Amino acid sequence: MSENGSVQQSTNILELQHISKYFGNVTALDDISTSVRAGQVTCVLGDNGAGKSTFIKILSGVHRPSSGQYLFDGKPVAFDSPRDARDLGIATVFQDLAMAPLLSVWRNFFMGSEPKKGFGPIKWMDAEFAKVTAKEELKKMGIDVRDIDQPVGTMSGGERQSVAIARAVYFGARVLILDEPTAALGVRQSGVVLKYTRAAAERGLGVIFITHNPSHAYPVGDRFLLLNRGKSLGDFAKGEIEIAELTRMMAGGAELEALQHELAQGR
Amino acid sequence: MSDAVLQANTSVDVAEPEEIKPPIVTADERIAHRGPIQRLLVSPEIGAIIGAVLVWAFFWGNGRTFGTAATTLIVLDAAAPIGIMAVVVALLMIGGEFDLSAGMMTGATGILVGLMVKYFVDTGAPMWLAVASAFIIAGTIGVFNGTTVNRTGLPSFIVTLATFFVLKGVTLVLAKRLEGKVSVADVDQARGYGPFYRFFGYEYKFENFGWRDQLFVGSVLIGGVLLIMGLCEQSFIRRTKGDSVNTRSVSGRTAAGFVGVVLAAAGFTMLHRSDGVNNNAIWGACASIGIIVAVVGLCESRYKQRSDQTGDGVDNSLPAPIRNLVLLGTGSMFLAYLTPFVFDRNERREILTWFPHGLRVAVAVLAGLTGVAIGIRHALPRLRGKFPWYRPIFSLLLSIGIGLILMVGVLTFFQLATVQALRTVAMLAFASLGLAMLMRARAQAGKISSRLQLMVGLISVLVLVALAFLVRADSGAVRFRSGLFGAMLIAAVVLTTNTLLETRLQKRRSIDPAADRRGRRFVAFGVLLPAIGMGIRIVFTNASGGAGEGGFSVTRMSILWWIVATVIGAFVLTKTKWGNWIFAVGGNKEAARAIGVPANKVKVGLFVATSLAGCFVGIMVLLRFTSVQASQGDGLEFIYIIAAVVGGNLMTGGYGSVIGASVGALIIAMSYNGIGAARWNSDGKFAFQGVVLLIAVLVNNYTRKKAQEAR
Repeated sequence: MSENGSVQQSTNILELQHISKYFGNVTALDDISTSVRAGQVTCVLGDNGAGKSTFIKILSGVHRPSSGQYLFDGKPVAFDSPRDARDLGIATVFQDLAMAPLLSVWRNFFMGSEPKKGFGPIKWMDAEFAKVTAKEELKKMGIDVRDIDQPVGTMSGGERQSVAIARAVYFGARVLILDEPTAALGVRQSGVVLKYTRAAAERGLGVIFITHNPSHAYPVGDRFLLLNRGKSLGDFAKGEIEIAELTRMMAGGAELEALQHELAQGR
Repeated sequence: MSDAVLQANTSVDVAEPEEIKPPIVTADERIAHRGPIQRLLVSPEIGAIIGAVLVWAFFWGNGRTFGTAATTLIVLDAAAPIGIMAVVVALLMIGGEFDLSAGMMTGATGILVGLMVKYFVDTGAPMWLAVASAFIIAGTIGVFNGTTVNRTGLPSFIVTLATFFVLKGVTLVLAKRLEGKVSVADVDQARGYGPFYRFFGYEYKFENFGWRDQLFVGSVLIGGVLLIMGLCEQSFIRRTKGDSVNTRSVSGRTAAGFVGVVLAAAGFTMLHRSDGVNNNAIWGACASIGIIVAVVGLCESRYKQRSDQTGDGVDNSLPAPIRNLVLLGTGSMFLAYLTPFVFDRNERREILTWFPHGLRVAVAVLAGLTGVAIGIRHALPRLRGKFPWYRPIFSLLLSIGIGLILMVGVLTFFQLATVQALRTVAMLAFASLGLAMLMRARAQAGKISSRLQLMVGLISVLVLVALAFLVRADSGAVRFRSGLFGAMLIAAVVLTTNTLLETRLQKRRSIDPAADRRGRRFVAFGVLLPAIGMGIRIVFTNASGGAGEGGFSVTRMSILWWIVATVIGAFVLTKTKWGNWIFAVGGNKEAARAIGVPANKVKVGLFVATSLAGCFVGIMVLLRFTSVQASQGDGLEFIYIIAAVVGGNLMTGGYGSVIGASVGALIIAMSYNGIGAARWNSDGKFAFQGVVLLIAVLVNNYTRKKAQEAR
């Protein structure tokens, strides 16, 4: 994987150039550019209303950009539906996890793409293969599931996110879009998800990690795109920016300082 | 990850340090091995299966005609239409939807076919055309139901309720217009009726044949052996070449096992040939001992021995809590023994005849007042607290209601309870309580040493055998005398074998996929074989055959279709991608769609399947009676839903079992037939269904929680 990764490292899998999106007279996104390389994590940071949701929807093929170019493997693409994006290998793991809680881990893992065996027209599910493969794939990501037959509902939120990530990786995703994967999680569970995010990148995927939490983004990210009210505040590589600066810019910089001042006085 | 590591460190359960495990593919040492019984106890069907056995035993004990070959076939025939519908309704319910038009569909399609063959173009349409159109119409209605639910996002309750009323209205209007009444008759006059009758409703009468009983006994024996093998394979650790810890030789045990097999075979053969009490006792004992020796001997030569078996260095005195449990258990059993002597068997008078009527009312009123008092006690703080004014009034009314129910309950008890009834109830209660306590004591003793477990186990066996002989000597009914006695003796043999195995062999604590798979297959065949044997015994019966009391047993095609529907439904649900999609759509529709499951197609497919099955059942009923009422099936949709829920299907979708739904239908059919056989008021079936539903839902809720507990 390493030699493969080093070749891909030089090129961008996915690139956005001067993307804008208008809904009627509302400017949701204005002139946004960023890129994802294989084996790298690009973090998209922004507070509520910054345009993160619109950004994801453009990436995953729900919306088309009003202007600007969406390049995949260097070629411009235009998606009609999320299915088109998925077929190219752009997988989105949404916040609501895309799991059926009462279903076992392996059934969830293969949901919608069940392995089949049988003769002639009579086909059934290859449960043995599914169980072994799901267990192995999860192990490759570093998730050691105790019992592959246990309902997903018995797992913690972080583990569930991780299963969703592993599933996307197994089914040939090249770009993984994670929509606020740590939003509903505690500190330790967030750590679990961050670890698997990094693991996915190390397996050669380009990862786009959307969050409003700079302290989650900074440890895993290689690039940071900051959004504020639909505009880009900058697209930085890791060496170019410190976490304190990231936090300050995200919260609107001067505003946060004013708030701190206010709070200090109040006390 | 840190979580998982923690778990790994704390819950690793190493059975024996010297044990060297072969590499295992999917096993994980952190999961404790769940024995076959534990696994069964958390499956969705378990409530229905236990319920079916209990309901069967209940009616078998109460109705004289219940449980013969002929009546069993009648029950199965009544269960078939409910069962076929319960299967599809269960699938639909797992997919997260309901179909309230399912019941009416059976009546509407029946009427439709009936009218078409009578009135279509003067002389009536040929049968095949009518049947085909009915299926097409039913399928269209299914598509309508499904797409409407999908497009609008309305609850399927509402949509299918509308379909239900439309169907009902159209059916009634058509039948009255054309036929002048609300039924269609004489369908057997239709052109091309024959083949359809043979397909949907044919009656078979099978002659008894010479080796029917041998076939039955053989299948039960082989099935029993497979079952034991399967359960042992899933419970115990295989002996490896390395452990020759014990002094006695393995080959000796194998030889003993084969001697046991021969003994058991001889016992059974002679038991089958001979007659008379003395011979039965001798050969029965021979067979029982043979079984015990065979199972224990062969298992000991195959599986690893328990390490603390010698009991050296273990304090072998019973600790106080276990001793108390044993004493309480045996005491309770003795009370059970005493009840036949205290109460007279033939005393049909009301209980407590010395209790004057005035006093009874007084006791009932007292009970009612106690209920009210408890209620008031709970209501009082609300009177004083900062609650809105209606809260205390509501609490008061509730407490008065509870008091009234208590009063009515006590009065009914006085009216119903005869000495005879009290005797049975007391005996059952004491006996089951005693056995439960002894079993618990045995399990606890097993944690200390095998010798103690053996001791407590043998006490339980002795107590059980004594009870069996007491029942035989005492019971007035022939059925009870022979049936219950035999069942209790078999239970005693099983208990002895189980105790011996548990005390002598090392239980497996880790998962061994290969052995588990082998064990599961053995168990499956061990259940299937006796079922087939039983089926043969029931079906091939005529009056001279002996097993049927009411002449020929009539087997209908409907029973076959029910079995086919159940097998297909279970296969689709658990073994195909479609089943996975049904679970997924019912569990989390949005997630399923996002991941690429055609959620809408699955739902429409389920609605269509339900409608088509309704059509199938409707035609089945029509051809069976050659006439159909327009009200046929009206209200049955709830029966189907009850059957599915009793079978462990979750009302909110995403969890359930087809086999459970089928068993649920069987329970309902048994209640129809059994209540009649027990000569009770047939309206009691509604109360019965309600109670069964409530109990089943509680049991299922509990097992689902157990199944979902983090492992």
